[in-house]
Amino acid sequence: MSSPAISVPHDHGHHDHGHHDDGHHDDGHHGHLKLQYQPGLPLSRGKLIMWLFLSTEIMFFAALLGSYIVLRFGAAVWPKPHHVHLSEPIGAFNTFVLICSSVTVVLALEAARANKTGLAKFWMLTTLLLGALFLGVKGYEYQAKFSHGIYPAAPHGRIYERPDLYYGSAVRARLGEPAIIDRLKQLDDTPAADLTEQEVAARAALQQVRTMVADTNQQAFEMAVVADQIMPLPADGPGSEAHGGHAQGINDVFPWLQLPIVIPGGNMWASTYFLLTGFHAVHVVVGLIVFAVLLGYTLGPKNAGMIENAGLYWHFVDLVWIFLFPLLYLF
Amino acid sequence: MSDHAAQHDDTAGHDHAHGGLGKYLAVFLALCVLTTMSFFTYSAAWPWRDQPQVGWAFMLAVSCTKAMLVVLFFMHVWWEANWKYVLTIPAAMMALFLVIMLIPDIGLRNRMVSQERALHMARPSDVLLLERAGEGGRSKSSAH
Repeated sequence: MSSPAISVPHDHGHHDHGHHDDGHHDDGHHGHLKLQYQPGLPLSRGKLIMWLFLSTEIMFFAALLGSYIVLRFGAAVWPKPHHVHLSEPIGAFNTFVLICSSVTVVLALEAARANKTGLAKFWMLTTLLLGALFLGVKGYEYQAKFSHGIYPAAPHGRIYERPDLYYGSAVRARLGEPAIIDRLKQLDDTPAADLTEQEVAARAALQQVRTMVADTNQQAFEMAVVADQIMPLPADGPGSEAHGGHAQGINDVFPWLQLPIVIPGGNMWASTYFLLTGFHAVHVVVGLIVFAVLLGYTLGPKNAGMIENAGLYWHFVDLVWIFLFPLLYLF
Repeated sequence: MSDHAAQHDDTAGHDHAHGGLGKYLAVFLALCVLTTMSFFTYSAAWPWRDQPQVGWAFMLAVSCTKAMLVVLFFMHVWWEANWKYVLTIPAAMMALFLVIMLIPDIGLRNRMVSQERALHMARPSDVLLLERAGEGGRSKSSAH
């Protein structure tokens, strides 16, 4: 918006066309202006769009992570990682896998810029495989939760917050289901010689549980004993880690029982855990699709921009996991 | 012509000048070391087991350092022009405000709860009860 009156006094060298901001582009021919377009920001359109998208992603994940932190620290009770069968070494391994994949995507970009298309493809494929490995490990972890009845909601979720009357009646109701009654009868009739030592002990514990929940005059402590027999909460400490997991409960020995379990604070934990890791996994899947598509291109300097944008996205996915890992596994 | 154009070529060319294999590998090693450091809080050798806040602060610091490394070097933000602040600072402020806004209603939700809710929500006493039940069961099974 500079007017001639303002710009002329400052522009001593160009009296004739001093009011042109780009006067120095003129090669001396009056009235012959060479227009030069300048981008608003010194970066390509694709990259600008990717960064705008990433800024919305920052807010999206900040909302999720922020809500998690506020929910977690505002909760009266929050389960310890071992209570919900989280394995820290597996989480750390997955962190390592994602960091490696971040490096390989950077290497793919460098190779493409140096016109080493074969090498770029190799690194891109490695990134794809590492991303798939991350998802595989995540699936394995999810399976460990599901097999214990840890789901975000009913009907699959079997988490009870407290060992109280409601919990006792839920166990009684499950034991009273026709299919379970048949299986229990079979179990009772099996000679001890046909069972393993662990199964014999679990059968005795199950008998104790059945007697305790049948008693309508239940005390809280009795229900806590029932919950402990069904799925014990491992004590938190260096000693418990040496065993590499948790003590076996009735649910572990007889998986068909699927009895309700008690994890104080477990329902909110499951909701936040599956939401956070689920959205992150969806982002990983999208990244893998992008990489698979990119593998169809010649990965040379011409397409380096695409690799850079895909890489930016992938680094962001890595970034989210960098915060998720300690928040979920170690806090 | 084109001081301007040259300048622009420069910024475009700049993208290609930075980085280098050595730098990326150094960042990768730093990330691995930092991950091991936060994992260290989980090990038996961590000296502040009875004070979880120390571990939390430590892990948050480690995570922020890792995030910085990824953003600055892998995402090339270190070499970018000042536009990076236009996108990142408002987004970061929004993120911070959101967390602060959640605190009164969500973070402090258990300060005043209804009788009915208090009846059904888990309390620290429940964890103690379960732990005591577990200890009882274990001592029983070890006696067997």
